[in-house]
Amino acid sequence: MAEVNMEQLLNCALCPNMCRCECPALQATGREAVAPAGKGRLAALINEGKLNWDEAMLEAASYCLACRGCTIHCPFSELNLCDELLFSRMPARPQGVTLPQVDPYLNNLRKYSSPYGQKSDPVIKTNRPGERAGGEEVIFFNGCTSLANHPPSIEAAASVLLKAGVSFRMTEEDCCGYPALVWGDRELGRQLAEENKRKFAESGATLLVTNCPECWLTFSEYYPDLEQELSLEIIDGPSYFLRLIKEGRLELKEPDPGSSGELGAGVISYHDPCIWARTAGTISEPREILQAIPGLELNEAQPSGSLTRCCGGGSMFQLAFPDTAAAVASRRLKEFPSEAALVTACPFCREGLLQEDRPVLELVEILDRYFK
Amino acid sequence: MAQDMRTVLQESRVEQAVMDRYAAEAAKIVGENNISANQADLLSACRDYWPANSIWMREGVFPALPQLVAWPKTTAQVSKLLALANQEKIPVTPYGEGSGALGGVVPLRGGVTIDLKLMNKIRVLDERNLLVTVESGLNGALYEEELNRAGYTGGHFPQSLRCSSVGGWLACRAAGQFSTRYGKIEDMAVSLEAVLPDGTVFSGRKVPRTATGPRVDHLLLGSEGTLGIITSATLRIWPLPEKRHLASYTFEKLESGLEAIRLFMRAGTRPAVVRLYDGQETGNHFPELGDKRCALILLIEGNARLVDAEAEVIDDCVRSEGAESAGAEHVEHWLEKRFNIGVASMLFQKGAVLDTIEVTTNWHNAYTTYLAMQDALLGVEGTMLASGHYSHVYPEGAALYMTVVGFPGGDKISYYKKLWQTAMEACHKEGAAFSHHHGVGLHRGLWMTDEHGSGLEVLKKIKDALDPEGIMNPGKLGLEEVQLWQK
Repeated sequence: MAEVNMEQLLNCALCPNMCRCECPALQATGREAVAPAGKGRLAALINEGKLNWDEAMLEAASYCLACRGCTIHCPFSELNLCDELLFSRMPARPQGVTLPQVDPYLNNLRKYSSPYGQKSDPVIKTNRPGERAGGEEVIFFNGCTSLANHPPSIEAAASVLLKAGVSFRMTEEDCCGYPALVWGDRELGRQLAEENKRKFAESGATLLVTNCPECWLTFSEYYPDLEQELSLEIIDGPSYFLRLIKEGRLELKEPDPGSSGELGAGVISYHDPCIWARTAGTISEPREILQAIPGLELNEAQPSGSLTRCCGGGSMFQLAFPDTAAAVASRRLKEFPSEAALVTACPFCREGLLQEDRPVLELVEILDRYFK
Repeated sequence: MAQDMRTVLQESRVEQAVMDRYAAEAAKIVGENNISANQADLLSACRDYWPANSIWMREGVFPALPQLVAWPKTTAQVSKLLALANQEKIPVTPYGEGSGALGGVVPLRGGVTIDLKLMNKIRVLDERNLLVTVESGLNGALYEEELNRAGYTGGHFPQSLRCSSVGGWLACRAAGQFSTRYGKIEDMAVSLEAVLPDGTVFSGRKVPRTATGPRVDHLLLGSEGTLGIITSATLRIWPLPEKRHLASYTFEKLESGLEAIRLFMRAGTRPAVVRLYDGQETGNHFPELGDKRCALILLIEGNARLVDAEAEVIDDCVRSEGAESAGAEHVEHWLEKRFNIGVASMLFQKGAVLDTIEVTTNWHNAYTTYLAMQDALLGVEGTMLASGHYSHVYPEGAALYMTVVGFPGGDKISYYKKLWQTAMEACHKEGAAFSHHHGVGLHRGLWMTDEHGSGLEVLKKIKDALDPEGIMNPGKLGLEEVQLWQK
């Protein structure tokens, strides 16, 4: 795994932090220790051997939702505090300092390759049912959270891919390894990465599509750090679906009667998942899709796009710190137009935003309703 | 297990049994989750952006540590926390966003740090009366963002906007970059709600002005947590401006720029932003202008017709002093970069000591104070740069903002103290006031006798009356001597 960049970490630690207003952990808790520079200072002092890890220090350094909101106003273009914290936390576990509440999830990960525990029946969807796996062009990777919490989004994704005539396969998945990395078990993360790399290579696919931003980030940014760089193209779900539309493989259709009920008057607001918006740069793609649908009116959250704010779901927060995750989501929900139904493109965001009565749909579910 | 931390300013600590008793009661008041005595929280709430803290951070030492941090969510909770602390004689340090530049939140005698960040709501937006009532822990940028959504501005844009709180502004008598039009925070504060050490909650009337005796709530403005805790404030707001006019000029001499500003302020114009840089800062901020001339940047905003009229008057005044127009792009550049202070972190890492020292001058000594302070700062061995600009102006004078960077050969703290000693002496000799908007904190307290004269005794009497046990932010505002921090 990449080394901590001490120069950048110290830049943060010595900065008054113009990013404080954008740190969801700080805004939700008020704790100075979880302010960007608060975390940065503790991590820097620990890395320099001036402090030692203890559970409270580790908890503070783990209070990062990896939303990269702190990059919005950051004067240091090379600083990625989320990663510096993630790399800094790695030595804590070998020193016997852990967050007890994540141990059950890590045990699940070791045993079932999913932090959520034993999976139900394997989800195997393909355009070639009954045939042996292999030879499909696209691997569609749903991610543990969709598999565990929202199977309808998987059904919708498979339906859309079938309509578009994509040669694809969804198969029984091993976790991408992100939770292990976030919670400081580098070796487990590396093992999962190795297993996924092997499976992807054996499939012969040339394209890896995922609807999960965390999986995308792990495949794209952390696998190379773990020396498990993938050889196939990795693309985020919204960009891929827009590509299918532009290629004419998906066309608008009349929605099935009654299917738009929860969308009410058709006013929707798209919540930009942080990783899509700030790391992948996928901002216009979901909007192009949504704006192409007659009868839907896109009403933006304030802020949105690259300035989006976290839903509380980043960095596995809903599992490790559920109360704070809920507080972060609650704050984000106030930033949407009150009358709008919410659409997002991330299983964690969907979970986080499901706090109120208002409907929250995944982009792929909208696609399935309005495209043929 | 607790780690041993080296502290350099810890005067004393409260007996642990007393703190344990307080913590148990505090937990009943704010909830178990809203108090902490873990080291991560104590180490983080012990400091602000005082350069001495950055120097010590690089050495792995801390100024002084609190023994407990509490996060109240309501005024009633603050009241109970203070009353209890008063009863137990436990020192209390109020904490906002930690952007202070003078060590105002260093808990010299331990005790409890009351972090107000969870008091972060806008209580009432009163559009008809152009007032907003806001809790003191709200982050500045989030405050402005929420007002903007409703079509208003708070008009307060300190460079620390994104890392400071409303309460911090009030407690330090802060100024924003647009202060010439909108005023300093004390001009915006119509009324305050505050809690005294004995738990008394009081607030002022939310009316434009009163003549019913001194405004006791306004006594808390600039009190830096030494008299009580400000829990909310009713502030003036403005409709978002209809028009914004940007202009910049250059002058051959700094004195000509100052005279031009004096003239247009005397004429009654109130541009939001007025910033006059010396040659060195002109070269640093606007390299294309070089460092031989002094740049003046202006931003005028508000009603379109008034903006046009002000722009015309100002243009006449500055041209009468020999200004050359330099266009709007330098102001746009400044608007884009005005919150970027990343260079400070990089310089600290390279072993530099840097600070900014802001003082208030009248027109008669605005220029001579600049010369005297620059001379003084450059005279300290190790100083590489001492430059200045004027950034908050009034009909009667202007704030002077000096920036100093040095690479001292020996002990950095000694160098830092020498810088300040010589700068404050120069300021005093010129008759300028010791601070315009950063406040006093711990460090500037060293010169408060010079600043206030017999007025300091009056302030001490007020402190004794309101805080007889002396629990509120001990050692700050120059109200008492701090043995471990002397000139």
